[in-house]
Amino acid sequence: MTHLSMEALVGLRGAGLEPGDAAAREHLEGCALCREELERLHQRVARLKALPALRPSRDRWIGVRDRVRTERRRHRARFTGLAGLAAAASVALAVGVSSLVQSGALGQPDAGLGRSEIEQAMVHSRALESALDRLDPESRVLDGRTAGITQELEDRIARVDRELEMAELMERQARDAELLKLWRERVGLLDALVDVHVTRASHVGL
Amino acid sequence: MESYILSDAESVVARARRGDEAALEALYRAFEVPVYHLARRICRTTEDAEDVLQETFFEVCRSIGRYREEGSLWGWIRTIAASKALMRLRRNKYRDTDELHDELVGQRKEETHLRMDLEAALERLPEVSRAVVWLHDVEGYTHDEIGGMMGKTPSFSKSQLARAHARLRRWLGEEVLA
Repeated sequence: MTHLSMEALVGLRGAGLEPGDAAAREHLEGCALCREELERLHQRVARLKALPALRPSRDRWIGVRDRVRTERRRHRARFTGLAGLAAAASVALAVGVSSLVQSGALGQPDAGLGRSEIEQAMVHSRALESALDRLDPESRVLDGRTAGITQELEDRIARVDRELEMAELMERQARDAELLKLWRERVGLLDALVDVHVTRASHVGL
Repeated sequence: MESYILSDAESVVARARRGDEAALEALYRAFEVPVYHLARRICRTTEDAEDVLQETFFEVCRSIGRYREEGSLWGWIRTIAASKALMRLRRNKYRDTDELHDELVGQRKEETHLRMDLEAALERLPEVSRAVVWLHDVEGYTHDEIGGMMGKTPSFSKSQLARAHARLRRWLGEEVLA
């Protein structure tokens, strides 16, 4: 006599009727060994459920709380930093345009191209920030090397942000060139940061 | 379970949604043990399980605003915990496949007919099989749900469960002689 396989016995515990279940139940009615096997299976599952609860050896709440606080700070800094930088850059551009109007230099192609490029870089930077937020990097577990790279990129972005603030104090001509250089640098760093997280996400299938 | 350990769940969740740190900690204290228990049953080491515990509650704190109260709070947290634990297994790249497991630790002990207790036998299962056993038999997830969480088919979950029970039966000395 062929007895029920473990797969068939496990299937009999399911809520729905699977193909083959009817035949398995019919076999079960006439086979004491398989009934005993199914009963052992039920008992094993009951014993699994009754295993004592395991408790962590360390309190991890402080770690959770600190990460939540760090993320909130970072989120606020990113938001206010971006808003502040965007506002400052707009003011700088407005002042620049005003100065150009007064000096009659508005028609110069180089100046127009510089402002347009700054605006493009700012738009690109905002788009990358949004892409980064969608990737939700805070929720991912990073290995040590990747975490080191992202930390370095974030530090460099923070440095560029500080330099952008300083650039606002410069004379107009030098300021536009510096702003353009820094916004481009910021875009490059953000691009690299997005790449790191995209690569990491696709590598581990998260 | 949750009504026992978090009787004022509605108000705690409402405060947690507003970012109240005390409420977030209350959630942690209420569900710390069941989350760790689930994580430890799935993960290989206590360190991995503790990391999953921390990852789970970090996610809970960030996403509590998205909890819609359609299911139970524990059900929502448990799904996050299970996903994080399975993510941890994937991160370890299923290093403990059935084949590797048999090759490394299985054959010698199986030949000795060594009777083990359930805890030790469960611990000895390959990681994926152990995760399926725990999620299906103890936590009550369906094969469809487990397959979805693991990025596999329901059939994969079913066959893992059957193989795991065959092993447990053998290791526990429960085989019925026909």
